Amino acid sequence: MTAPVPVGLRLEAPGFPHDEVRRRAVCGVEAVFPCLLNSAPAYGRAVFGETPGRGAVALDGIDTMRLVPPVLMPERLEQLIELGREPYYADVDLSTSIGGFASSLPVFVSAMGSTATAHSEIGTRLAVQAARAGIPLVVGENVCAVHGYDRRSSLHAPTFKERAFMYVDNLAGGSGGLVVQQSTEDADAELWNHVYSDPSFHPLVASGRLAFELKLGQGAKGCSGGITMVDSAAADHLADRFALEAVNGGTLLRISAPGTFTQDILRSQVRLIRNNFPDVRVWVKLPPGRDLAVAATTAWEAGADAVTVDAASGGSGLAPTALLQHLGLPLDACLAQFVDVAGPLLVSGRMWEGSRAVKALALGATAVGIGRAALLAVAEEPERGLLNLLAAMALEMQLLTAALGKYSIARLGREDLWP
Amino acid sequence: MNQTLAVVPSDDDGPTRPLALPAPDEHLTSPATRSILRIQQSVVAALRARLMSLGFIELLPPLVGPVTDPGVRGSKQVDIDYYGHTYKLMTSAILYKQVSLHAFDRIFFVAPNIRLEPPQTLETSRHLVEFHQLDVEWAGATYDDVMDLLEDIVVHCLQRVAEDCATELQSLGRALPIPARPFGRRLHRDVIAEIKSHGGIQHDEAEISWREEAVLSRDSVGPFFIRDYPKGSRGFYDREDSRTPGVLRDFDLLMPEGFGEVASGGEREHTYERLVTRMRETGENPAKYGWYLDVARRSGIPASAGFGLGVERLTRFIAGVDEIWRVHPYPKLPGMLAP
Repeated sequence: MTAPVPVGLRLEAPGFPHDEVRRRAVCGVEAVFPCLLNSAPAYGRAVFGETPGRGAVALDGIDTMRLVPPVLMPERLEQLIELGREPYYADVDLSTSIGGFASSLPVFVSAMGSTATAHSEIGTRLAVQAARAGIPLVVGENVCAVHGYDRRSSLHAPTFKERAFMYVDNLAGGSGGLVVQQSTEDADAELWNHVYSDPSFHPLVASGRLAFELKLGQGAKGCSGGITMVDSAAADHLADRFALEAVNGGTLLRISAPGTFTQDILRSQVRLIRNNFPDVRVWVKLPPGRDLAVAATTAWEAGADAVTVDAASGGSGLAPTALLQHLGLPLDACLAQFVDVAGPLLVSGRMWEGSRAVKALALGATAVGIGRAALLAVAEEPERGLLNLLAAMALEMQLLTAALGKYSIARLGREDLWP
Repeated sequence: MNQTLAVVPSDDDGPTRPLALPAPDEHLTSPATRSILRIQQSVVAALRARLMSLGFIELLPPLVGPVTDPGVRGSKQVDIDYYGHTYKLMTSAILYKQVSLHAFDRIFFVAPNIRLEPPQTLETSRHLVEFHQLDVEWAGATYDDVMDLLEDIVVHCLQRVAEDCATELQSLGRALPIPARPFGRRLHRDVIAEIKSHGGIQHDEAEISWREEAVLSRDSVGPFFIRDYPKGSRGFYDREDSRTPGVLRDFDLLMPEGFGEVASGGEREHTYERLVTRMRETGENPAKYGWYLDVARRSGIPASAGFGLGVERLTRFIAGVDEIWRVHPYPKLPGMLAP
């Protein structure tokens, strides 16, 4: 097994705006201002404006779009009348519903699987902070298959259940929910049946805070299945369940089967989850394909509570460069497929700050998933990294939404975005 | 433990749950338990005799295999270490029933099954973790044929138990009704419409919820079938109607008085291509089912229909007892540890 990354050791995320995420993890909301950037002069001794090209390293259509407020704002008048004073950014309500769960923010932590970064102490601290923030957490595929359901298969890697309960035990109030993803190999191990029949999960089921996510693919590698590297010792106990291919010395590629889907197969599988597990929410995760509207509509009509589209800019533990660079659609092209269809749509793909999130919401998403940003933040600041990152995101979302003259994120729309 | 037995009460709240099961010696020495176990012996003997008289051959059932029946609503299979490989205890012997038709056209098992049922099934009063099924399969039959057969053996069984166990039934205060044939046969979609017309909550494409099933059963004057379930509500082996895609040629049998479902069955998918496709539709990995699919590809699986009848559930109905644990000498209830 690849050694886990300990907290305090610098986690890398090539191609991701990692320095800015780390700054937010440490400074929280203060980091939303340019004057606190290390290289920038302090407030009062400089003036600031747009910095071309700053932010994301690799740009997609979302980055280049502008959020454009009207000058005349009847919706702000509505808010003024309701409040009896001029509204300001803190009046923007960010609480929402994500895939059947109440959430304090339109943000959830995307699936992270069995790779070294996600199974280390970072993963458990991340779960604790997501619970305290009151946002949903997805436990990725293969965590159970690789690290065991409740018996550790290696000393350092928490089991599926440890990870799940690190989150569940820290939930407070009514917000948040646990989402358990299942892949083909997990289906062989009956992960969902195991969770559903496990009495220790019963209170979570009874309180309506458990969801199962059917994974059809992901952004970084489309429908090509999961790939990660394992050493030969770890390979022994995986050989029964995974295709393994030696690449170099003692290292092997562990390859997951992607699973075949047609419209009929997708519809039937969603219905079967509803039938067999009537007390859980159903999420479906789609890769950034060209038939998203049909696939998402099929899932919604079959009873899915949420469909997540992971754009090509989504992260991964490991994927071949050819897949990372050339497979699947960017987020704007994914969202463009939803102009004429509407439903509970979640999106992910290089999310880390408020403007990209607000743009995604304006283009039809109901929430955004963070993955690498959450990992980086906790690796940089173990106690409050994710909470600080979320606080900065929340402030930016409130500022931008209020600037558009709206006080509910549900009111954001395509009229707020200009190319 | 209060050993007073009662027919399932008709109030909406259902019977009171036991907080703990009685110790085995307390349970087994209870006069009620002894009466129920004598009734159960008569039930099994009557079912066996009737099936054998109709030309069915009893085979001894398998206990473990590399795979077992995946089509069991929310429950977990039990894994065992089989020479270093993960094998399963039988949730049902459906795959073996189909393949057994290579030996005889009409077969049955009295098969022990185990399913780690979700804790919420404790509320149904009819779920045991360890139980027995009368598992019947008939080559070349339609689902109408096996519904007729099921009616026949249930009525014969009730008649024989009424004669053989009159004393035990009397001691339990049970006036056993012998139902008239034919039993009612209602379409799943019509049942859903009826549930919704009464304000019930029910998904169109799912099996009937436990709560609504209890209401349907309580309101019925006799046993009845619910047939033609939608795809997405059952295992891959229930055959899809080629003329009505999305509808399965299958059924459940429900008993009246609130006792609910006692049997499930249907025609079977049997061609290799259909089996692989249906496995994907139910989220299964066909690679797991290697031995079964090899048979399907090599020598074919005979077209058939069949059913599984819950022995403890039928006994519970006949004895008229509220909780299913009362009919098993060593009951195991969902989510509870027991000897």
